[in-house]
Amino acid sequence: MSEPATDEELATRPFDELVGELQRIVQALEAGSLGLEESIGLYKEGLRLHAACEERLRAAELTITELGRRGVPGAEPTGQPDG
Amino acid sequence: MGIEQPTLWGAAQVGPRILRVSDLNRRVRTLLDADTALTDVWVEGEVSSPSFPASGHCFFTLKDASSQLRAVIFREELARLAIRPTHGAAVICHGRVRAYEPQGTYQLYVNELTPAGAGDLHAQYEALRLRLAAEGLFDDARKRSLPRWPRRVGVVTSPVGAVWRDIGNVLRRRYPLIELVLSPSVVQGPTAAPAIVRALRRLYADASLDLIILARGGGSLEDLWCFNDEAVVRCLVQAPMPVVVGVGHESDVTLADFAADLRAPTPSAAAELAVPDGTQLPAILGRLRDRASAALLGRVAERRRHLESERRALAGLAPNLDTARQRAAELVDRGDRALRASIERRRLTVDALRDGLRALGPAATLERGYAVARLGDGRIVRSPDEVPIGSALEVVVARGRLETRVESASAERAEDLLR
Repeated sequence: MSEPATDEELATRPFDELVGELQRIVQALEAGSLGLEESIGLYKEGLRLHAACEERLRAAELTITELGRRGVPGAEPTGQPDG
Repeated sequence: MGIEQPTLWGAAQVGPRILRVSDLNRRVRTLLDADTALTDVWVEGEVSSPSFPASGHCFFTLKDASSQLRAVIFREELARLAIRPTHGAAVICHGRVRAYEPQGTYQLYVNELTPAGAGDLHAQYEALRLRLAAEGLFDDARKRSLPRWPRRVGVVTSPVGAVWRDIGNVLRRRYPLIELVLSPSVVQGPTAAPAIVRALRRLYADASLDLIILARGGGSLEDLWCFNDEAVVRCLVQAPMPVVVGVGHESDVTLADFAADLRAPTPSAAAELAVPDGTQLPAILGRLRDRASAALLGRVAERRRHLESERRALAGLAPNLDTARQRAAELVDRGDRALRASIERRRLTVDALRDGLRALGPAATLERGYAVARLGDGRIVRSPDEVPIGSALEVVVARGRLETRVESASAERAEDLLR
């Protein structure tokens, strides 16, 4: 398992990575081959990841970028029907 | 008819060769069947007097200004076709021409029927589809699966209008964790196809895009025609990342749909298919957390059980103190007894020695009846000449003493006197 990340690191990592990490932690815990201290540490890390995921979902807003229209004659909206 | 004239059938015969009607009709049928141009033919005309008898087949006449052609659509084909022939409709039929021997007629057996207005486009579409399919561009083996958790999604569509808005709304509601990159393009008209190609290529240049959505709302066949453009299809096939195409309505299938890694029936469906269902995520996360908790609790319980079993094992291995105590007590007892016995033995020995000593001592001798005679100064008398007559003599016996005086004395042997 990787080093426990700081909250700041968690906040910058992609959502799917966080979920993937959480899944790995759950699987490691379920495999049951870890020592108790390690298990507890992992569990705490899992809770933090879970909270980070929840927070990310709560705050998620679709980011939209539009590529520049310059040199794109097709992009002018003139005479453009819906769709 | 003269003798030995070559006949129509090439064989020299005597007299005219008389054919039966069925032979002739079969001959004609064989000729027609052999003509490949007639077995796969497109023909345009106007439908006249279609009939739909109980057999389920459809019979009609296809005609133009100067000629007529009998046509039939069998029941199975009729059920599959998008339109039914109606009187006066201008249509393009596809099928094969065959002779119908029982009636000595020939007719068109129709398996495709499209309105004539679309006929040219449809034929072009079909020809291009077959050609590109033959190249393998539409093979299922080429289709890539979509990334499960896309981060950046490119969209090629018109920046104005409902489709772009709908896609944004679907993604906002369903999975707002992505960055959407719009590469705007005209999606209708003669400039649309090259514009779509350019818009796609702009997105191809961005390697961080996980997938691309190409979308357009519903429209007529002509409106959607740019999605049947060969350049667009070939461009789609070259996409470095998976492409979802959602054009028109469910029933509109363009060549771009065939070229896509995933065909979506509509633009909104394309957006839905492109991302996971984020509304399920809190539940999924919750289950993950629950599983982690259960696993940890399981670990703790397991440790506790383990510890308990270890404790039991340890208890089993511990020395039995009661037994040891008992054994020690017994040992002490035995030692005690041994010590006492030892002491007793020694006492007996000591007593025996003491008795022995006593037996050898003067008291014991006296007790046996002997006496000791002593002078006044304490000297013990062993011979009569040591004592003058008349002198005092103390005789000590076992239990006392006698004060005596010597009256006479004679020297004799004690053995003789005590015999």
